[in-house]
Amino acid sequence: MPLLLVLAAALLAAAPLVLPVFALTLLTEALILGLLAMSLDLMVGYTRLVSFGHAAAYGLGAYTAGYILLHFAVPLPFAIIAAAVFAGVLAIGVAWVCTLATGISFSMLTLAFAQLLFAIAFKWTSVTGASDGLAGIPRRPGPLGLTVFETRVGYYELVLFCLAAAYVFCRVLVNAPFGAVLRGIRENEAKMLSLGFNTRLYKVAVVAISFALGGLAGALYSPFAGFANTDLLYWLFSGQVLIMVIVGGQGTLLGPILGAGFFMIVQQVLSQWTESWALFFGLIFIGFVMLAPEGIWGLLTRRRARV
Amino acid sequence: MAFLELRGLTKRYGGLLAVNDVSMQVESGEVRAVIGPNGAGKTSLFHLITGVVKPTSGEVRFGGRSLTGLSSYQVCQAGLSRTFQLTALFPEMTARENCRTAAQARLGGRWRPWGGGPVFREASRRGDMALERLGLADVANRPAGLLSHGDQRLLEVAMALAQQPRVLLLDEPTQGLSVEETGTAVETLEAVLADGSLTVLLVEHDMEVVFRLARKITVLHRGTVIADDVPEAVKANQAVQDAYLGGYA
Amino acid sequence: MDLLGFLVTQCLNAFSQAALLFFLGVGLTLIFGIMRIVNFAHGTFYMLGAFIGFTTGRITGSFWMALIVAPVVAGAIGAAFELGLLRRLYKRDASAFLMVTFGLTLVLEELIRLTWGVQPLEVPVPDLFSGIVFLFDEPFPIYRLFLAGAGVVVAIAIWQFLERTRLGLLIRATSQNAEMVHALGVDVNMVRSAIFGIGCGLAALGGVLAAPLVTASLGMAANAIIDAFVIVIIGGMGSFLGSLIAAVLVAFVQVFGNYYFPDFALAAMYMLMLLVLVIRPGGLLGKEA
Repeated sequence: MPLLLVLAAALLAAAPLVLPVFALTLLTEALILGLLAMSLDLMVGYTRLVSFGHAAAYGLGAYTAGYILLHFAVPLPFAIIAAAVFAGVLAIGVAWVCTLATGISFSMLTLAFAQLLFAIAFKWTSVTGASDGLAGIPRRPGPLGLTVFETRVGYYELVLFCLAAAYVFCRVLVNAPFGAVLRGIRENEAKMLSLGFNTRLYKVAVVAISFALGGLAGALYSPFAGFANTDLLYWLFSGQVLIMVIVGGQGTLLGPILGAGFFMIVQQVLSQWTESWALFFGLIFIGFVMLAPEGIWGLLTRRRARV
Repeated sequence: MAFLELRGLTKRYGGLLAVNDVSMQVESGEVRAVIGPNGAGKTSLFHLITGVVKPTSGEVRFGGRSLTGLSSYQVCQAGLSRTFQLTALFPEMTARENCRTAAQARLGGRWRPWGGGPVFREASRRGDMALERLGLADVANRPAGLLSHGDQRLLEVAMALAQQPRVLLLDEPTQGLSVEETGTAVETLEAVLADGSLTVLLVEHDMEVVFRLARKITVLHRGTVIADDVPEAVKANQAVQDAYLGGYA
Repeated sequence: MDLLGFLVTQCLNAFSQAALLFFLGVGLTLIFGIMRIVNFAHGTFYMLGAFIGFTTGRITGSFWMALIVAPVVAGAIGAAFELGLLRRLYKRDASAFLMVTFGLTLVLEELIRLTWGVQPLEVPVPDLFSGIVFLFDEPFPIYRLFLAGAGVVVAIAIWQFLERTRLGLLIRATSQNAEMVHALGVDVNMVRSAIFGIGCGLAALGGVLAAPLVTASLGMAANAIIDAFVIVIIGGMGSFLGSLIAAVLVAFVQVFGNYYFPDFALAAMYMLMLLVLVIRPGGLLGKEA
């Protein structure tokens, strides 16, 4: 398996050599969404913390990175990292509140928080530019005079690197004792409590990590697109990320990345011949939840097991 | 000073007095059975001791310190492991993984976000040992949800044992077991408790199990202690006879 | 402007707002109380009600017809959805419901957009309730008085329905012990479909009544579902009385918050939710442990 992954990563890294410009742009966006979906998988797939507000992480990262780059002469990579860290730290407070509840109430709270952030972004004109958002976000050079990220290919490789690094980080995390605790919480939280685990702490930790990585994705997006607006914080987007995780295959880290790719492909194809692609997406989602809950990744591995 | 001591534990739910001024002293290494008719408050008592429910008044003291008011995970960390009346396991995980998770809870480094080789190895070692002692070694790799009911009850005990507790609280371990399964379970438990290193509180309905395993018996009736003595004395106790024969609905 | 007039009008304002919030919350909480599932599409049914109400009003020229047709149609759609899809999910865990109803939200919203277009639609206030009345020298819209009154009427109606009618009894029994009800020979599945339909119908009723105030627009659902969630979280999932109290609480916080701290009014609602959760994690009158 790891060999296949390394191969895939190498192929992706070499992609700019063969892909036309518009395809590279799409692929960059797909990788960013893949990172976002993977970050949500930590919560949903490994801990059964179903969040309907993950757009908050994305938007936070995007706006923070955008704001820093617009107002300070900070090298691009540092701005991105700072934004990701900020999202993670803020998430500790959010998680502390949301984990006061469990199950469905938790999900509803995450949605409420994301809407709150959306409303704040809408109103706080001086910082966020309200419904216009932040525009003209520059990709500042540095460190050490590096300007490679200002190019399309350079930025693509940066995104690929971040995704790969985040994947390795997550993989190490879920294979560690911490990950085993998350799985226990997913299976039977009450039992974990009675076994002596302070489950609340672990839940807060995984939400913070998930938000930091989601914020990283957002922070990669706004310099890429050059703008950040309230669309990134909208609840329907949160739902779309959740769809990517479920359709891709929750609890697998790789599945959600595939799910993001699938989502982008379907969106591109469907929007060619109908404006109502969201409708078909809803139907596809319902179909997967009802008939193939293990997602695309599950279907792929199931087939391989039988062969 | 007793190893585990309950002082005047009381739990009131509105108008209902579930546990009424219960005091108990359990010595180290003792096997104490808590019996009583349905609704006597036995499981409520366990909930109070293990921090699942907070007492209205009274105290739980263990090894000299007070456990009152601690939450359930803190009580477990203090060295008290329990099983439940309604089997609670991780159904998708194998029996081995169930015990390993239980054992992991009591190891330093259980929270580590990287590596974990040593933690997993030690947890597996303790878990496997517990499975061995409970006679579950041959079903170790089967998903817990697919085990027979009897094996599931034993697995829960194995999980508690994997935590290497100082006090073991067993809530009706033989509940729902057939006569044959009960026999096996009692033999297994006898072997496990033979060396006297574990202090055990045992809630049971099956009197034969009680008389085989327990050194002392506490009888509860409507939340109050009505007898607290060695088995022979309890058998002969008039109040106990009245409670069971008279109070049984 | 004197204090008494101000207080009276703002309180009535709050009560009319509470009525709308109550319609939103009570359907969601009833569905959860009986079926232990959360209908993510609840806000979309609210929106659907507004749009169906608009069209019915246009065709028949009667507000009262709209008031009847919208909840019935929405309720029928909801019950059909439960029958066709949700029923197969009862063996799965709760998040499956959340996700399927989210999928329904996407589908419904798009269907609504296709049918009625993107432009917000003005729904006229019925002649009977148009205009203003003077209370303590303060002007107050009659329609809002009607809303507040409608809220009281519907609350009493639901209460009586649950307490006095056979279906209401079945609903209450099913929420406590579905197996027993089944053993007594009642088709529990029918009860579930009925309650899901009623819940959606109540949301739609809220939409029809709200439309003259807020116009029927595609953005309604998002705010509605959040409001509904907040009401249910504060009041406690599954508690009819809880949703009533929560609706009043939140409405007062919103109305007075909007007057004194307009920029923070939204945050005020979330602060209230936070406060309740910290004090009572299950909501004020919650059934969930």
